Amino acid sequence: MTPAHSCRVLAALSLVWLLGPALALAHVGQGDIQGGFIAGLEHPIFGLDHVIAMVAVGMWGAQLGAPAIWLLPVTFPVVMAFGGVLGAMGLPIPGIEIGIAVSAIVLGGLVAFAARPPLWIAAVVVGVFAIFHGHAHGAELPESANAISYSAGFVIATGSLHALGILIGVANRWRLGARFLRAGGALIALGGLYFLVRHFIGG
Amino acid sequence: MAPIRIGVRAGAALLLALFSHAVHAHSGAQGIGDFYAGFLHPLTALEHVLPFFALGLLTGQQGTKSQGAPALFAIALMLGAVACLWLPGVPAIDLVNIVSALMLGALIAAAFSLPTPVYLGLALLFGLSHGYANGAAIGPPMKAYLFILGVGLAGLVVTGYGLVVTDYVLRKNVGWMRIAVRVAGSWIAAIGMLVLATSWKRLAV
Repeated sequence: MTPAHSCRVLAALSLVWLLGPALALAHVGQGDIQGGFIAGLEHPIFGLDHVIAMVAVGMWGAQLGAPAIWLLPVTFPVVMAFGGVLGAMGLPIPGIEIGIAVSAIVLGGLVAFAARPPLWIAAVVVGVFAIFHGHAHGAELPESANAISYSAGFVIATGSLHALGILIGVANRWRLGARFLRAGGALIALGGLYFLVRHFIGG
Repeated sequence: MAPIRIGVRAGAALLLALFSHAVHAHSGAQGIGDFYAGFLHPLTALEHVLPFFALGLLTGQQGTKSQGAPALFAIALMLGAVACLWLPGVPAIDLVNIVSALMLGALIAAAFSLPTPVYLGLALLFGLSHGYANGAAIGPPMKAYLFILGVGLAGLVVTGYGLVVTDYVLRKNVGWMRIAVRVAGSWIAAIGMLVLATSWKRLAV
């Protein structure tokens, strides 16, 4: 790691640290806010099918390089929230669980083959899956939790999963790392396949 | 350039110092006086802190032309709170406040260069709506002017904090940091949208 790199990492960490108090502050002194926040934070992380697909989004973004690596984390949360709105409104999308498993297979597969389609195709693929994921979550939005702290936890968790994927994707710079990255994509696709099979067998 | 940078750093240090003070104040929020009650009221609710902070981020992103926005926002907050005393019961204020998070976040994510009047108009409008919502918490035994001053200062501190952090980060002139600011905006917009979705669900049930 060059000095310039460690400077950047340091700057990023201090940014997170600076932003921290504004969030932490809001939790003190209001009883049910924390419960809502933690519930929102847990929700995307406890569904493994969701987790692997989100990490795959970040990994693929890192493989595609600029500008996709920046476009994905900026647009994905908003598109997913839009899917959440559809879900909360009760607009039915059939086969949502199948769609999520398929998204892991497709995104993992794209990483495994290091696919480089034109940017708009990549955006459409990721956007469609983002609506699926958001819809599933929106349909499950709890009515008792504090809406805003739940949503904040939820978005932060999802965004952090992308960041994790992008961080893993940094390995793409080295030849060996790029191979590991593709192997990781294949693993994610296998995971998606498992969730798909389990959905039909009903295990 | 150097004096400006020192100024920004001093400002950041001052704001951080103010913030650490606010954290201490939390432990004794009850019966601490009307000024502090007003100061803490927006700070202890994410539906206010988040858009305040978003306005600060947007201000920092828009650059020098819009630096007066935090002051304008604070004044609008106080005017909004006064308006609530004079004319209580305006409907849909909470909805406007959620939309403020969604809209400000989306503007940050899009990273448009906004015309100054539009931008200041947003600061004024959302200042009034958030001020109004905070003003609704003023009860009869309180000294209203102290509470309102506290609300105004809270607005100034949070937007100023967002402004200083963004300004500092963007001055580094590292490409991915500009993106980090946009991602923050995208998260804020997504939160606003999900809250709108939940409100919809509540209304529908």
